[in-house]
This record gives sequence, structure tokens and C-alpha cells, in this order.
Amino acid sequence: MVLEATMICIDNSEWMRNGDYTPSRFQAQADAVNLICGAKTQSNPENTVGILTMAGKGVRVLTTPTTDLGKLLACMHGLEIGGELNIASAIQIAQLALKHRQNKNQRQRIIVFAGSPIKYDKKMLESIGKKLKKSSVSLDIVDFGEEDEGKPEKLEALLTAVNNNDSSHIVHIPPGPNALSDVLISTPVFTGDGEGGSGFVAAGPAAGGDYDFGVDPNIDPELALALRVSMEEERARQEAAAKRAAEVASSQNQGDEQSSKSQDTTMADTTGASAAVATDAAEPMSEVDALLQQAIALSMQTPASDSAVRDTDMSEANNEDQDLAAALQMSMQEGEKDSSGQMDMSEVLEDQAFVSSVLASLPGVDPNDPSVKDLLASLHGKSESSDQKKDEEKAAKDDEK
Amino acid sequence: MSSTATATATAAPTASAIQRSQVDLVDFIDWSGVECLNQNSAHSIANALKQGYREDDGLNVESDADEQLLVYIPFLQVVKLHSLAVKGPEEEGPKTVKLYSNREHMGFSNVNDFPPSDTVEFSAENIQAGKPVVLKYVKFQNVRSVTIFIEDNQSGGDVTKVQKIAFFGTTVETTDMKGLKKIEDH
Repeated sequence: MVLEATMICIDNSEWMRNGDYTPSRFQAQADAVNLICGAKTQSNPENTVGILTMAGKGVRVLTTPTTDLGKLLACMHGLEIGGELNIASAIQIAQLALKHRQNKNQRQRIIVFAGSPIKYDKKMLESIGKKLKKSSVSLDIVDFGEEDEGKPEKLEALLTAVNNNDSSHIVHIPPGPNALSDVLISTPVFTGDGEGGSGFVAAGPAAGGDYDFGVDPNIDPELALALRVSMEEERARQEAAAKRAAEVASSQNQGDEQSSKSQDTTMADTTGASAAVATDAAEPMSEVDALLQQAIALSMQTPASDSAVRDTDMSEANNEDQDLAAALQMSMQEGEKDSSGQMDMSEVLEDQAFVSSVLASLPGVDPNDPSVKDLLASLHGKSESSDQKKDEEKAAKDDEK
Repeated sequence: MSSTATATATAAPTASAIQRSQVDLVDFIDWSGVECLNQNSAHSIANALKQGYREDDGLNVESDADEQLLVYIPFLQVVKLHSLAVKGPEEEGPKTVKLYSNREHMGFSNVNDFPPSDTVEFSAENIQAGKPVVLKYVKFQNVRSVTIFIEDNQSGGDVTKVQKIAFFGTTVETTDMKGLKKIEDH
């Protein structure tokens, strides 16, 4: 997580029209640049990246170092190919741009994409390298495209002039079936000075290979866990969405009015319950629950009108509902365990109508399910007026149907 | 009594630099902000500045790509600089040293943009002896940071070596914010 300001120098000379990298050298380069921008900004939120083009009419700075990834991706559009590479002034201008960075604590790095032949001689490049080294600027060189005689040697000479403690790297990428960006991901250009670029590998094309998400759980266990959890959540959400879609489709067949009526009843139940809950003295918990219930009820109302369009909205609401349900379940279970400190919680639980309406209104939870019934029974086993509440519960279920 | 700073330092009465409560300002250097451009990573600026390291003549700071060095030293509080002691080997020790006060984040490209607060040229004997040289005191009355630009060395070679850099001066009454304690409410 090195704090760094990076200037990326893009080659947009005529040589970039060539198609030896799919789809064209320029496109492959653009993809690689996008990936690098993303990787740098992700590895440290304060990292800044700037872009300049080296060919065309002259060296042009497209963006000065910025943290805004959107801006960086946007300025990659509409770039024109033409002209000749001017690597010397490009590097000097990049150095100047870095010098005027806003956060002087950032380290300075220049990444050069050298795709066309280099017309400067070794001496010139070495003196440029020396200047960079003096100002402690690191340099990464991506040698691709044109296989010129002496080009690799010139670039290697430049690298040795700049290199200070292995902070600068060079990568030679010959044309081939692999995309430029894929090859780059595994290089130190991406992974920085030996830290984890593995986190970003998961997001990009899965070059990682062996593990589920391209992330080695040994290297980054938290990230692997997070990815796994989010996959499961996504799966659960999609299942719920599918269930919800089926449910809504079936209820629509029964008639819109009836369903909307039941929704209203549920709504009334919920608001009544939440009003009852709200009257309990000094309960911040109940207010939160009341708000949650209103939100659920509102979200339940919308499918009645147009389920086909709203399926996607519903599925998002379902997701939230499920989270709310999970939270409620958890809080209810905790309330069960800790009776002394949770007096207000048990009061909420005892409000049978409220709880049952909550459960009834949740998608995917069928109140007639025996396990749910058992749960409800166990939760309210202590209350004296359990019979009365069970009647209410049955009434609520009838309304729901 | 004191010579003009641009002349060679031999005429300066070096003994008087330590008189009159001029202290060694090494304790007031803000180490977190010390930077040195173009230093060889194996021989870093700490070798020349830190107490203990700088006494050792075997440890020195060396330049890397060429013979110039740019050292930025911030201080923990405002100080007045009275004199400067630089010690180095006879051949590779610094010759022309320019000082810039209160300029942050200078680079080799803008050392020539503004005049230095002071320039000192060391002769070979000075640099070997490492005796303090009096600076233009009036220019260094209110110093938060100082930048040392070592332009060339005695022999004109590619590597400059410095064994010791020390500043002498006095502190200005500045509140040390860390020492402020909150008054307890009773």
C-alpha cells in the first residue's frame, strides 16, 4: 500500500495501428492502462494517477495526477493515433507533472508504454535516467509492439540508469495470443514492489488460476473470505428473487384487488403493531424496528401494482428485507437469551401480532411452515395471553391468503 | 570580526561559534521530515547528521548518480542559525555549499531559481578539519527548515562524501505544542 503518484505515458504513434496484439496495439494498450489505473487507485485510496500521450502533435498531458478513476477512464476515450514517439520530452514532462503533485509525501513513478521504435541514442536515455534517479523517481517500462534493433538494449540502459533499489522495472511483451493486460498483471508493474497485486487479480481476468477467485487464501485470507461471502449472498439473493417472482406471479393470478387488499391489511397490522410498539416507554430499539417495518410494508405494496417491471426493484428490496429479517431474527434470539437486560426486547417479542405480521410479510417465509410455527410458539411460550395472540396470528395469516 | 560568508572560511573565528550559548541544533531536527536527494542508499544522510554516526569518520553520506546532494532539514521549532560545520574527506568532500532557509521540497531543477540565503566555499583543510563556519546570521533569524545544496566537491569527481554536518545556533521562543497540558477542571 505504497503512497504513490503515477504518470502513465501512452504511446499513440502510427505504429499502434498494428494488429499483432488483439484487437489492435492501441486497444490492448488502453486496456492495460485502464487496469493499471484501477489497480493503483485501489491499492491505496490516496494514490494519484495521471496520463499523458507521447506522440501525436506533441506530448500532451491528458490528466494531471488525480484520484478520480472515472476521469482517468474517460480521458482514454477519443484518443487519436498518429505521429511519432517522443520519449525524452515525454519523460521530462511527466517528471514535471509529478513535481507539482499536491501531496508531496507521495512517491513518484512514471510508467512508459514503449511500442514504437526509439530514435534517441543510449547516452541521451541514460542522462534522462540519471535525472530521474536524482529526483528519486521510479520508472516502469513496458516494451511491446515494434521489435526494433537495439530497442531492448536502449530501454535496459535507461532502466539501469534509473534503477534505485529495484524500484524500477522493465517488461518485454512479445506479440502473442495473450492479451497485453493479462501478461502485465503478473509483472511487478502491477504488483508494485513485491506487495499484493493479488487483490486486484481477482477483479481482472482470472490469471490467478488455481483458487476460486484467483486469490490465494494464504496470501490474503480476508479478501478470499469476503469474496466467498459475497458470492453466497449473491446466490441467496438470486434464489430469493426467483422465489419472489414465482410468488408474485401466482398471487397476481388470484386477482390484483385481493392481493392489494391483503397487502393493506398487512400494512395496517404492521402500522398498528408498530404503533403499539412505539408506545412502549423509551425504546430506541422499537423505533428502529418500526421504521424497518414501515419500509418493508412500503416495499411490499409496490409489487401489487406492477410486478413485472418491479421484479428487479423487488429483488433488491428482498435483499434488504432478508438482511432486515436476519437482523431481526438475530436480535430476537439475543433477546431470548438475555432477559434481564432486554426487557424492552421481550416486550417487542410478546407483541405477537407484530412479529407474525413481520414474518408473514417477508418473502420466502411461509407462516404455515411448521418450523416457523414452532419458532413463534417458542418465542411466545412465556406470555399469558398466548392463546389470544395465536388467534390474532391466525387472523393475520388468513388475511395474507 | 566575522568575514563575509562568500569568502573562504579560513578567516572566520571558528572558536567563537561555540561561545555565547550557541547550541548544537541536532536535538531540534525533525527527523521525520529529513530528506536527501541523490544519496546512495547504502550511505544515507543519517550518517552525517545523527549524533554518534557523524562522529564516526568511517560513516558518511555519499552521492549517487552524480556529485550533487540536496538535503532538506526541518526543525522542530523556529531556530536561528549561527554557524555550520561540515566535515569530509580531502578529495571527495564538498566544496560549494548553498543554504536555503524556509524553502520546502526543492528539487535539483529549481535550486537555481532563487538566490541562496548563504553560500559557503570550503577549502580542503577546512573540510578535513570540520570546524564550524559562521553564516550570515541576519539571514537565518527565523528558520523553520534549511535546505543544503552541495554543488560540487573538492576534486571534481563523481562522488561526494560527507562525514558530518552540524548546525549551531539558538532557539527562538516557540511554544512546544506537545508540552501543552490541559488544565483539569475542578
